[in-house]
Amino acid sequence: MMARPPASMTACSPSSPGRIDASCRLPLFALFGGAALWLALSSVFGLIASLTFHKPAMFADCAILSYGRAFPAWSSLLVYGFCIPAGLGVGLWLLARLGRVELAKPWLITVGAEIWHTGVLVGLIAILAGETTGYEWLEMPRYAMVILFLGFVLMAIWAFVTHTQRAEQSLYPSQWLVLAALFWLPWILSTAVLLLQFFPVRGVVQAAVAWWFAGNLLNVWLGLAGLAATFYFLPKLTGRPLQSQYLALFVLWTLMLFGTWTGIPAHAPLPAWMTELSGVGNILAFIPAVAVIPILVLTCRGAKVPCKGGPLCFTKFGVWSFVLASLLLALTACPLIHRVTDFTWFGQGQNLLRIYGFFTMTMFAAIYYILPRVVGAEVLSPGRVKVHFWLGVIGTLLFALPLVAGGVMQGLKLVDPAIPFVDVAKSTLMPFRMSTLGETLLLIGNFVFLFNVFGVIVSYLRSVGKTVYVDATAQLETAVVKP
Amino acid sequence: MKSAATVFLAAFLALSASWAGFVLAPQLQLGRQPQVKPSGVEGLYPVARPGLAQQGAQVYRSLGCVHCHSQSVRQDGTICELVLLDAGTNGPATLAALAQFDRELAKLPTLTALPKVIKIVRDVPSAVPMIKALKAAGATAEVKVSAQGPDIARSWGLRRSVAHDFAYDETVQIGTRRSGPDLANVGMTKPALDWQLLHLYAPSSVVTGSTMPPYRFLFEKRMITRAPSPDALQLTGEFAPPAGYEIVPTPEARALAAYLVSLRSDVPLDEAPFTSLTAPAPATNAPAK
Amino acid sequence: MNADPKNLNATTEAEPVSEPTAVPMWLIVTLLVLLFLGAWYYDARGGWLFNAKVYTPYAHAPEAFYPPAPDGANRKRGQVMFEKHCAVCHNNDGAGKPGQAPPLAGSEWVNAKGANRLIRIPLVGLTGSITVKGQKYDGLSMVGLGGGLTDDDVVDILSYIRNAWGNSAPDVTADQVKKVRTELGNRSQQYTGDELLKLEE
Repeated sequence: MMARPPASMTACSPSSPGRIDASCRLPLFALFGGAALWLALSSVFGLIASLTFHKPAMFADCAILSYGRAFPAWSSLLVYGFCIPAGLGVGLWLLARLGRVELAKPWLITVGAEIWHTGVLVGLIAILAGETTGYEWLEMPRYAMVILFLGFVLMAIWAFVTHTQRAEQSLYPSQWLVLAALFWLPWILSTAVLLLQFFPVRGVVQAAVAWWFAGNLLNVWLGLAGLAATFYFLPKLTGRPLQSQYLALFVLWTLMLFGTWTGIPAHAPLPAWMTELSGVGNILAFIPAVAVIPILVLTCRGAKVPCKGGPLCFTKFGVWSFVLASLLLALTACPLIHRVTDFTWFGQGQNLLRIYGFFTMTMFAAIYYILPRVVGAEVLSPGRVKVHFWLGVIGTLLFALPLVAGGVMQGLKLVDPAIPFVDVAKSTLMPFRMSTLGETLLLIGNFVFLFNVFGVIVSYLRSVGKTVYVDATAQLETAVVKP
Repeated sequence: MKSAATVFLAAFLALSASWAGFVLAPQLQLGRQPQVKPSGVEGLYPVARPGLAQQGAQVYRSLGCVHCHSQSVRQDGTICELVLLDAGTNGPATLAALAQFDRELAKLPTLTALPKVIKIVRDVPSAVPMIKALKAAGATAEVKVSAQGPDIARSWGLRRSVAHDFAYDETVQIGTRRSGPDLANVGMTKPALDWQLLHLYAPSSVVTGSTMPPYRFLFEKRMITRAPSPDALQLTGEFAPPAGYEIVPTPEARALAAYLVSLRSDVPLDEAPFTSLTAPAPATNAPAK
Repeated sequence: MNADPKNLNATTEAEPVSEPTAVPMWLIVTLLVLLFLGAWYYDARGGWLFNAKVYTPYAHAPEAFYPPAPDGANRKRGQVMFEKHCAVCHNNDGAGKPGQAPPLAGSEWVNAKGANRLIRIPLVGLTGSITVKGQKYDGLSMVGLGGGLTDDDVVDILSYIRNAWGNSAPDVTADQVKKVRTELGNRSQQYTGDELLKLEE
């Protein structure tokens, strides 16, 4: 282990990537390891929830695994267990690397990560026990949210401190996006938790706040955190410069300005101006997705880098899923379309494309790139990563697209009052079967991911253990030899 | 973007704009809605639910019913119909009055051939002269305003859901998916507590082909001691418990059923008006007897 | 593609750079087109402007669908029309604006049994001075809305104000309004308070 120079020097002189990665090791183990665990567990709950549709009587005697508890468990573990910690971990690493500075107080960030994971665990148990709030994407009760918030603030503050201590003063686009994400989440989270759980607003305003929060979380925050990784890894993995700085700025501005107005569904029992304004937001939120396409195409143009199922493949798939999900969201603004797609599986399919197809795939790319470097050894077999890639791609497409198509079919039947509701419900079972198949593939893929991530961590711990053992036995030998 | 401060400022501006639009403005406009006295209905609307139904709302929330059921009725449009209630005794005068507005109707030979709904009008004020003319001829007519849309046609409500309907909900559970039917007015269409309890225990026993999971953990299977309990569910066929046993609802089931029966919003409001020619429903969320 | 493992511990590893290429024109055009479409969409369906009582599918407050009162006056509709045309000066709560518009709440002109004087005011307007509730209002100028209001509008609005904010007076009927209009003929000259007092109630 190299001796560390005094802290005052790191602010001025850029650190080497190896040193930076080493400083990130502990926090990223905590964040990525926990995230991988929660992701696998969320897939299990997701599958349990889906089983209720195929065999309704399965959990008739078991309240904990009933749909109304398993489904919020799935969504909470996915977003709070995987998405936010993974996004935060990648953001921390990006800030450190791009600022050419080691992470500030890694042990404190690790503590923050563990606090966050505790909050997720508390929230999960609460949801299964029936303390769910009933607001989608904000299911955890307030005591869990407070723990989560504390953990996040701890990590965000030291992420910001790392940023202020940076050696490289000029900012790369990914840094803007990470900083915006660090600012966005605490504000929407604290507003939603305060106004819904501590000083509850009355009546339908609760729904407005909950929808505002969900729209900002899914349509803005995931975009900010995910695209930060995309804008870093596309040029990094192809070896070409990012095209372009101004396009990235355009994406940042339009995502923040327009994406924040999405979220209120068209059928909401709110005055017309709110639902229609959100519809306009949905239309305009397609712009950042459109703008990412030239970034992808121009940056990768001419780069003769084969995909081979590695991080670059994940990143590219993520970009196209982002575009498709934003397109589907924009389409729902059209009255003829949302009349059919409201209240159906269409919205769920669109969300799945965004969360699984875009965000998790982009995070997988980042984690598969970052972890071996943080550990300092190439311990990840490309074969296993490739298996995960194909499971992820096919699983996501099979999970989300049948729901999108099935939702449209369901909606067309719903608007025809002559068709009894029981028939409408039955007609969704066929697409749902395909979707559950996709969900199973994703479950396997997520366990492969868990296996990969813990493989890296365990191999690192083993090598550290081995070094310690070797050192200890060497000292013992010299002690034995001396007398 | 030169610095973190610029990024934070930009993010602050963007987020505060939507915060003002979707958090502050709804609170200012809808956060302190008073009760209103709807026309043609006794009492105020909305009324706070009785205690058991309030508890039932918490059971609804804790079971996650919102993930399959919505509580928001949609509406495509409104239709105004001029309805003839009483053709009067002076046939030719009535037909003459009608002739002023609709030549086709005046050609009918007898009054009994008149349809109940005389005409679809654009709005209420355009029907008022016709009503007056018919009144002068000795007939009685009224204008009936009703909401239109697939949700209304499925008897999920008499009008669209508006902010006022949720003013007394502890946790608003509007929902965004319909794996099960909309529940905004289930207290109007299925007002019997017994039906609700049977449906919760074994949905396919009351709705053939239902895909809803049974909620058997909300009920207790007990041995019948001296006599069957008055609360025991009346189950038949494959759903009936084995001989000597009965199924009794737990307090949670009772509360949930009371809550479901209290869900109704069949009161005309300024934001979504409709008229009904029958006696108006009392404006109460109390469970039906 | 995973990066070359040999570079893992290199002291210099190039971080990505971004080129300052301009944003393509088609993207700007798309943004402007979508902004325009969004504005048009909101204008058509948004219930101008942030009205809390307008819900889709209504483009405006659905006053045209309120059921009429049994005696023919639609007070609900009258309220909506009052808030649209008269509340600008007289306020939603009928309190008026000091020095500019006299109050209607508790006003003896509004509560008078006969509506003869009252009907003339919205039809041709007021000028000069008038005393309401013991307070003299000088330099008035209320423009008559007679041309823009139908008889039914006048019936509804006046019936509304005669039963709002604590006022209590019988509804105005269409016959009364017709009679006043006939008497007014072509008159466009505004009334003064004194002139009105000379007429019968």
